[in-house]
Amino acid sequence: MSWTVPVVWASQRVSSAGANFLCLGMALCPRQAACMPLMGTWLFTSVSKMATVKSELIECFTSEEPFHHRKVSIIGTGSVGMACAISILLKGLSDELAFVDLDEGKLKGETMDLQHGSPFMKMSNIVCSKDYLVKANPNLVIITAGARQEKGETRFNLVQQNVAIFKLMISSIVQHSPLCKLIIVSNPVDILTYVAWKLSAFPKNRVIGSGCNLDTVRFQFFTGQKLGIHSESCHGWVLGEHGDSSVPVWSGMNIAGVLLKDMNSDIGTDKDPEKWKNVHKEVIASAYEIIKMKNSTSWAIGLSGADLTESILKNLRRKHPVSTIIKGLYGINEEGFLSIPSLERRVLPTL
Amino acid sequence: IATLKEKLIVPVAEEEATVQNNKITVVSVGQVGMAYAISILGKSLTDEFAFVDVLEDKLKGEMMDPQHGSLFLQTLKIVADKDYSVTASYKIVVVTAGVLQQEGERRLNLLQKKWDILTYVTWKISGLLKHHVIGSGCNPDSARFHCLMAEKFGIHPSSCHGRILGEHSDSSVAVWIGMNVTGFSLQELNPEIGTDNDSENWKEVHKMVVESAYEVIKLNGYTHWVIGLSVAGLIESMLKNLSRIHLVSSMVKGMYGIENEVFLSLPYILNARGLTSVINQKLKDDEVAQFKKSTDTPWDIQKDLKDL
Repeated sequence: MSWTVPVVWASQRVSSAGANFLCLGMALCPRQAACMPLMGTWLFTSVSKMATVKSELIECFTSEEPFHHRKVSIIGTGSVGMACAISILLKGLSDELAFVDLDEGKLKGETMDLQHGSPFMKMSNIVCSKDYLVKANPNLVIITAGARQEKGETRFNLVQQNVAIFKLMISSIVQHSPLCKLIIVSNPVDILTYVAWKLSAFPKNRVIGSGCNLDTVRFQFFTGQKLGIHSESCHGWVLGEHGDSSVPVWSGMNIAGVLLKDMNSDIGTDKDPEKWKNVHKEVIASAYEIIKMKNSTSWAIGLSGADLTESILKNLRRKHPVSTIIKGLYGINEEGFLSIPSLERRVLPTL
Repeated sequence: IATLKEKLIVPVAEEEATVQNNKITVVSVGQVGMAYAISILGKSLTDEFAFVDVLEDKLKGEMMDPQHGSLFLQTLKIVADKDYSVTASYKIVVVTAGVLQQEGERRLNLLQKKWDILTYVTWKISGLLKHHVIGSGCNPDSARFHCLMAEKFGIHPSSCHGRILGEHSDSSVAVWIGMNVTGFSLQELNPEIGTDNDSENWKEVHKMVVESAYEVIKLNGYTHWVIGLSVAGLIESMLKNLSRIHLVSSMVKGMYGIENEVFLSLPYILNARGLTSVINQKLKDDEVAQFKKSTDTPWDIQKDLKDL
């Protein structure tokens, strides 16, 4: 029996039983065990004497130059950077992920480990470098690098150290990726978002602090716990500073559109017999508590970073309480960064 | 006085005694345990997830952190306890506790990290049916091999197919006859593949699979992502009853003339009943010999283990 064996462009994922070869005008023939000699006509024959398996298997119709259109860079391969990375990978948000860190061993180790996991993910490329040239012009740069809170420290204790790190970092990012958007995760996030905005001279819509995205998510979680429902169905906003002085907007808290203040007019006040104010206190305390127990927080902030990444890369126009410039709003005259519900246009809630 | 909850939510169905569940536990909240956890949670495989560990503070911290991210997850209940009673009636338990491999330590030196032997120990102590005790085995090795193949061809690893069998160790067996891309055998294109005469030195690719784990440990202190993601894939096959084939570790006594109760990796089918079938593959004589040889060391260690 003579078989015709088609060679398929390797970027299509087909199984040998299910391939559609009708466009080639050939019937599909199941392959027998390799102990039988192959007979028949090849689609093409490699002319090189030093033919490799690749050259015999795959014929290229186009340039092999890689093309990526949803590139994300993560600066920092500590626990937060890696948590952001794995969350982005599990959601399949980008086709290229690049890591930058000064610690070369950790950088390469984490990159290799993730690369080995790529059969289980839908991502084509994971790379790393000590310098920012690794993959110029990503769509998005997520900055997680910097000192982290130790037990008992507030986020403000980190200011001087992290501002110094940002002065080195931002100029390199801008040089190699002048068109990217920046998401700042390092703490104190509102101050560092201001610093990144000043140093980069990017327009304000391209410098975003993760801000109260996480506080709001924690708030929704604790509300869900109190009511026995999933946090996705609990709606409420925590705004302002990502930290001890954040502001829960009790007037807007609702479940399926039903305002909680209509069921409990004292909600959030000291008079409230159900002490809903403690839900917000738990939000503020939770980071300190987790740090006390396991020296850092990572998973929730990583998932939050992936959430913002999804909105930006997929152009979803979702609202997020992220840190942005608030000069001119609510009677504020200083150039500060605080969290308010934002998308491409700002949404101003009535406080 | 009615609480806000009582005013807002009105039950319309009676509380049921038992609800169908897909509960999963991970034992240990170290780097590998957390990689398992986030991969499982990220793929939304379960409705209830529990951590168990002896380190109480770290345990509570690692439970609270993903709990706070629950808006982004579809697992309502994430719990943790030192006591295993928290895992009562759980469907799947992932065991990962043990000492990390240190730089330079070959896997054989470290009993606690010897997954195939530990799978045997777990089976013996638990008294569970053998197809309910599964070792992750050569699943990560095969994944690494696919990555290296993919790099050589410039295609995605999931389009590369190859089997690494036997012991999850330096003596794993690469089955060259089965290596293929879209069904086309690499051995047909390069009959010397995997031998010392091979001009492309594909044998080096298998060696790199074995060495790459050591390299990651040298650079990073540990490996965790590949094993976390690979185990999430195994669990997905079981909970979603997919009957997919995975290179995992199970009891091979009676196969290929093996006489001892040893756990080694072969291509097995995983579904809701656990590990149910093995793929009947033809191995060359030297591959069978290598496979049988890799039972020697685990059995030498296993036969001296007491109190099992």
